[in-house]
Amino acid sequence: MRISTQAMFDQSIASLNQRQGDLIKTGNQIATGRRVVNPSDDPRAASQAVGLTQTRAALEQFSAARVSTRNSLSQEESILNSVSDGITRSRTLILQASSGSLSDPDRVSLASELRGIRETLIGQANATDGNGSYLFGGFQDGSPPFVKDASGAVVYVGDANIREQRIDASRLMPVTDHGQSIFQSVQTGAGYVAEANAANTGNLTFVGPKIIDTSDPDFGSLFTLDFTVTGADTSYSVNGGPAQPYVPGEPVTFGGLSLTLDGVPADGDSIQTGPGAQMNTDLFATLDKAIAALENPRIDDSDTAALQNTLSTVLRELDRSLDNVLTIRASVGARLNELDTVDIVSNNRVLSTEQTISELLDLDLVKAISDFTLRQVGLEAAQKTFTNITGLSLFELL
Amino acid sequence: MASIFSIGISGLNTAQMGLQTTSNNISNVNTPGYNRELVVLVENESGGARVDQIQRQFNLFVADQLNNASSDLAGLRSNQLQVSQLDNIFADSDAGLAPLMQNFFGALQGLSSAPSDVAARQGVIGAADSLTSQFRALDNFLNNMQEGLNSQIQTEVSQINSFSTQIANLNREISVSQARNGEAPNALLNQRDRLVAELSQHLDIKLQIQDGTNYNITAGDGQTLVIGNRHSELVAIGSAADPTRLVVGFVDSAGNTQELAEDVFKAGSLGGLMSFRTETLDGVQNQVGHMAVTLAQAMNLQHQAGTDLNGNPGQDFFAIGAPRTIDHANNTGTAAVSATFTDIPGLVGAEYDLRVSDAATGEFTVVRRDNGQSFTANLDVNNELAFDGLLVNVDDPTLLADGDSYRLQPVRRAAAEIETLVRDTAEVAAAQAGGSGDNRNALAMLDLQNAKLLRGNTSLTQAYMTLISDVGNRAGILSVSLSAQESITLQLQQLQQSESGVNLDEEAVNLIRYQQFFQANARVIETGSTILDTILGL
Repeated sequence: MRISTQAMFDQSIASLNQRQGDLIKTGNQIATGRRVVNPSDDPRAASQAVGLTQTRAALEQFSAARVSTRNSLSQEESILNSVSDGITRSRTLILQASSGSLSDPDRVSLASELRGIRETLIGQANATDGNGSYLFGGFQDGSPPFVKDASGAVVYVGDANIREQRIDASRLMPVTDHGQSIFQSVQTGAGYVAEANAANTGNLTFVGPKIIDTSDPDFGSLFTLDFTVTGADTSYSVNGGPAQPYVPGEPVTFGGLSLTLDGVPADGDSIQTGPGAQMNTDLFATLDKAIAALENPRIDDSDTAALQNTLSTVLRELDRSLDNVLTIRASVGARLNELDTVDIVSNNRVLSTEQTISELLDLDLVKAISDFTLRQVGLEAAQKTFTNITGLSLFELL
Repeated sequence: MASIFSIGISGLNTAQMGLQTTSNNISNVNTPGYNRELVVLVENESGGARVDQIQRQFNLFVADQLNNASSDLAGLRSNQLQVSQLDNIFADSDAGLAPLMQNFFGALQGLSSAPSDVAARQGVIGAADSLTSQFRALDNFLNNMQEGLNSQIQTEVSQINSFSTQIANLNREISVSQARNGEAPNALLNQRDRLVAELSQHLDIKLQIQDGTNYNITAGDGQTLVIGNRHSELVAIGSAADPTRLVVGFVDSAGNTQELAEDVFKAGSLGGLMSFRTETLDGVQNQVGHMAVTLAQAMNLQHQAGTDLNGNPGQDFFAIGAPRTIDHANNTGTAAVSATFTDIPGLVGAEYDLRVSDAATGEFTVVRRDNGQSFTANLDVNNELAFDGLLVNVDDPTLLADGDSYRLQPVRRAAAEIETLVRDTAEVAAAQAGGSGDNRNALAMLDLQNAKLLRGNTSLTQAYMTLISDVGNRAGILSVSLSAQESITLQLQQLQQSESGVNLDEEAVNLIRYQQFFQANARVIETGSTILDTILGL
C-alpha cells in the first residue's frame, strides 16, 4: 500500500500518544497508590467501595456508641460499688445498734454516721457524667433526680426511662439504669419483710417472718395482724379474719409464713408483713426510719420494742436493697462484658471491610511497577522507531 | 512532421509542468485537505507530448466514509469530554456526597450518645450544613454543565452555519469557473471537500452531488443545509417545552423556525453534546435531586415525630426545592399547573410530560421522559392528579386546552434549594416524648441511614453507589467505543491518504525524473540545433 508522508507522521503521533497515555495512567496509579482512580476505571469496584465505606462508617458509629456506653456503664458500676459499700456499712451499724447494751448517746452517734452515709448515697444518686448530665434521672438528665422535699425526705423526680444506644447493627443497649430502680426498688421475689405500726403503744416485738410453705394459696400477699385486748384476753386477727388467741413467744402462722411474736401488745397495735416489693422499697426511707428510731430516746418498754422492731425491719430492707444493687451491678457487668465481645467482633469486621476496600481500589504495586517499566520500554521503542523511519528520507541522499 | 524543436519544446513544457506539480505536492505535504496531483501526459498527434490534465487524486467514496467515521468519532469525543468531567468529580471517594452523609449520620450517633450535650447538637447542625452545601455545590456544578452545554450548542450552531455558507459559496464559484474554463481549479475543489469534512465533525450530514458539480447537504431529519449556492440557517433556540434548554431550530426557506428533536443529532460534536445531555447529564441531575429530596423529606418526617429541648414538636429539619412545572410555549390554555411531593418511597426520580388529551374531562396523558412509558390520568374532584409520589394540581380545569402540555421536573433542581432549617441547638428534636436525656428520636433519625428510602428498596448509600457506577460505566463504555472508533477512523485515514496523500520519497523520485526529463529534452533541442548548425555550415 502507498503510504503518504502525512500518514506516516500521523500514525507515529497516534502510537506515541497512546503509549504515553498508558504510561501516564500507570504512573498516576503508582503515584496515588490506587488502581481505581476514576469510577470509569472499574465502575463495579468504585461503587462497591462506596457501599463498603458506608459499612465502615456505620461500624465506626457503633464503636463510638460503645465508647460512650462503656463510659456510662463503668461510671455506674463504680457508683454501684460504693452504694453497696454504703449499704453494707449501714447494715453493720444497725447490727451494732441492735445490741441492747448501747446507751442513747451511743445510738445517736451511730445515727449521725448513718446520716453521713445517707448524704453520701444521695450524692452518688445524683452523680453526673462527663457532660454534666445526671446519670440516674432517666430522660430527665438535666437536673438532680433525687431532691429533698419539705420534710427532708428524698424524692425521685426523674422518670422511669432508660437511654439506649445502638452499639451494633441489631443491638440497642441501655446505657444506665434509672435512679428509682437502683435506690427505690427491690427485686421481685425478694423475701418477706415485717414492720410494726409506728403508732403501736405496747411492747410487742417480732422476729421473722420465716417462710414455711411457699405453696400456700395466700403466699405472696400482704398481711396485717391486728391485736385486740379485751380485759385479760389478747387476740389477733389476720387481714380482718377470725380472732385468734395470742400467746407470747409462740410463732403465729398464716399464708405460708411464720412470725414469732413476743411481749404484750396494746389494743389496736398492728404488724404488717408482705413481700419486699410491696413494702417500703426506698433505701433513703429505710435509712430515715433507722435514723429516727436511733435518735428517739428510750423511755419505756414500748420504746425499746419499737426500736427493736424498726431495726429488725430496717435490717431486712437493707438486705433487700443490697440484693437489688448487686443485681443491677451484675447486669451492668454483663453489659460491659457484652461490649467487649462486640468490640472484638466489630474490630474484625472493620479490618475485613478495610481489606476488601483495599483489594477493590488499591494497587498491586509490584505489578504496577513492572507494567510501568514495560510501558516505558514500549514508549522508548516507539520513539526510536519514529526517529529511524523519519530519518530515512530520500531527500537526505540527494 | 513536426520539427525536432517543437517536439523538444513540448517535452520541456511537460517537464516543467511535472516539476511544477511535484513541487506543489511537496509544498503541500502538510496542508490539511490537500489531495496530491498527478500529471497525466498524452502524446501529441503531431509528435511530442503534452499535459492532458493535472489530476486530483480524490476518491469521493473513501472521503465520504472517512467523513462519517470522523463524525462519529467527534461525537464520541465531545460526549466523552463531558462525561469525563463527571467521572472526575465522582473520582475522589474522600470528597463527594458519601463521606459527608456518613459524617451527618455520625453526628446523629453522637447526638444519641449525649442528647443533652450542646456540642453534640451543634455537631448535627454543622454536619447537616456541610452535607447540604455539598448537595448544592454538586447541583451547581451540574447546572453549570447544562449552561455550558447551552453555550456550546450555540457555538456549534454558528460554526455549522459558517461552514454551510462557505460550502454554498464554493458551489457557486466552482460552477462559475467550470462554466468558464470547462474545469474547476483543484484548489477550490480541495477547499470544498475540506469544508465538508470539517462540517462532518460538527454534525452528521448526508452529501449528494448534483449534476456532478454542486454539493447538496442535508442534516438532522432531512433538513437541507446547502442546496446549490443557497444555504439554510440553523439557530439555537430555547425548547418550547423548557425554555432554559437550548435546542437546534431549522429556519426554512419561508423563514419559519422549526424545532428539531434532540435525538436527530447522533454524531459530530453537536450530536455528542446532545447525547451527553439526554443520556447522562439529565439522569445524573435527577439522581442527585432524588437523593436530596429523599434525605430531606425522610429527615423532616422523622424530626417532626420528635420533641426538641424546649418540649416542642420538631420542625422541618431541611428545606428542599419543590417540583418544577414548565408550561409549554405553545399552550393555548392558561391553566396553572403545580406539583408537590406526597410520598417519598413513591418517587422515581424521573421527569414527565403532561399532555392534556381531553380538556373537557380533565384527562391527561402522562409520559415518563426517561423510559417513554405513558398512561392516562384524570383530574379528581380536587383537580388533582396523583402518581409516583407526586400530587399535581390544576388551578382551574376550565382553562385547560386540548393538546396543551406541561413539563414536570420533580427533583431535577431540588438539590439547589436544600438547606438546614434548624439553627438553634435546642430545636434539634432528639427526644421522642421530651426529657433532655431522651435519645429515641435521634436513634430513629440515625436508622434512616440504612433505611430503604428510595422506591422502598434502595438506601441513600445504595442510590449513591448506583450513581457512581452509572457514571463510571458510561465513561468506561464511551472510552471503549472511542478507542474502537479511533482505530476505524485511523484506518480510513490511511486508506484516504494512501490515495490522496503526498509521499515525499515519491516526490523526490519525481523531482529527479522530471529534472532528467527536462535535461533530456533540452539535449534534444541542443541536438536539433547542432544538426541545423551542421546543415547551415555545409
